[in-house]
Amino acid sequence: MPLSVQGLRKSFSGRTVLQGVDFSVAAGELVAFLGANGSGKSTTLRCVMGITEPDAGSISIDGAALDSLQGRELQQMRQRMAMIFQKIHLVPRRTALDNVCAGALARIPTVRSLSPLLFPADVQQEALDCLDRVGLADRAFDRVGRLSGGQQQRVAVARALCQRADVVLADEPVSALDPHAAEQVMALLRELAHSEGLAVAAVLHQPDLALRYADRSIGLLQGSMTFDLPSTAVTAEHLDTLYAPDRNIAA
Amino acid sequence: MTPQTLTPAVARRNSTAKNRVALVRPKKPLRWITTAAVSAAVVGLHAVAIEGTDFKPELLVDGWKGMAAFIGDAFPPDLSWEKTLKPGLEATLVTLWIGLLGTTLSVPFALLLAALAAENTSPHRLVYQGARAVLSFFRAVPDIVFALIFVTAVGLGPFAGVLALICHNTGVMGKLWAESMEEIDAGPQEALRTAGANRIQQVANATLPMVVPQFVGLLLYRFDVNVRSSLVLGLVGAGGIGLLINQSIKSFQFDSMLTHILIVLVLIIVVDQFSAWIRRRLAA
Repeated sequence: MPLSVQGLRKSFSGRTVLQGVDFSVAAGELVAFLGANGSGKSTTLRCVMGITEPDAGSISIDGAALDSLQGRELQQMRQRMAMIFQKIHLVPRRTALDNVCAGALARIPTVRSLSPLLFPADVQQEALDCLDRVGLADRAFDRVGRLSGGQQQRVAVARALCQRADVVLADEPVSALDPHAAEQVMALLRELAHSEGLAVAAVLHQPDLALRYADRSIGLLQGSMTFDLPSTAVTAEHLDTLYAPDRNIAA
Repeated sequence: MTPQTLTPAVARRNSTAKNRVALVRPKKPLRWITTAAVSAAVVGLHAVAIEGTDFKPELLVDGWKGMAAFIGDAFPPDLSWEKTLKPGLEATLVTLWIGLLGTTLSVPFALLLAALAAENTSPHRLVYQGARAVLSFFRAVPDIVFALIFVTAVGLGPFAGVLALICHNTGVMGKLWAESMEEIDAGPQEALRTAGANRIQQVANATLPMVVPQFVGLLLYRFDVNVRSSLVLGLVGAGGIGLLINQSIKSFQFDSMLTHILIVLVLIIVVDQFSAWIRRRLAA
């Protein structure tokens, strides 16, 4: 299993956010995380990525538990996971190609990463290939700030590819996009999972997108998992319980 | 906005509405006391300041004749080419060069110190505090004091002025740059950190490219300020048009002084327009 997580717990100043989350993501699979606001979806991803330190739980990549590793080895293991953000987090003034090259920084010596002009030629070629895989090779030399939101998120996906990640964690990757661009990015993530054998875990706000694109869906309610089913098996009742907290706030 | 007229429909709705929310502004009883205290403090401070600076408008009214005579001596400006205009223009160029070199040669120092003195890019808390202290020192010592110090080393002339501006400008620009780096969106830097980039790589590939427009804007602003500072440096012997203004006052040639001041006026306008033009192009 590229990614397997067991007993993930996290609380922020006394408030429990995750109370024991277990899941795994297989190669070639797109898994969606669903849940109301504050259900712990994003915290789960941030704990896996190491941006937030979990209180308990074990995270394994390809069978190797991260907590048994230290220093450089841990660092290298973490780099096999790439993160995609809701706010995209590219550098708008740089070209798409330069932004994608930045995914490979861990492989580039520090002196050669001071300016895009110094990036090694093979990295630049690889970055262009990655852009080609997300369908944006023709925009490689455009500034990212000139691209549409959907195109920018696809550049961010290309950056994750250039990182040579096996596991892609996407934190609300389409929440800031218009419906058409959202469909495009979801289709891209599914296609990359299926054709390149990536393990993709995506936190999603829209259940309909999740059920249409994800192979499997996991429901989180107040920090606990309520279901972990093939998307085709998720019913309206499942979703009803899941989004009950949001409705209570609205009511 | 035109005042809202009370239409019959609104009037009816108002009169029939039951359970209307009562309009009660929250009372802030101490508000007026605070206002009065602040006003009294401001007035008091001004009274002390007027006393402390011998601020007496009647002196200005009584002495207007002396001022008029001085200004009258300056008119018409001396426009003779050999004696005033040519040396004035040459010295103005020197002033411009002092401002230019003082700005550009301080860039590497300011950049390094800014990166060390910004919270999101500094490698360590101690380095951060140290860099802040160095910047504060260069900012606290006025450029004119730096000029006097350098004159004792390299003698009178423009070189001392350039050195003085490099020192002072490093302090000011480093501080301004550090602040604009701290205000930048931290997202791209975090994205590169999760991708395994080290600190230097994060700064070079996320933080710095994000702040380039602000950096260039501040650099142009400092160029503008430094050209004007180099005028004042001329007064203490660091060359340029400031030196000529000083000389013409000391030799009572007020008409030459006025010519030099007019040249300076043109220089300031040109520099100001130039940096405004560049900033407009950057914003576009």
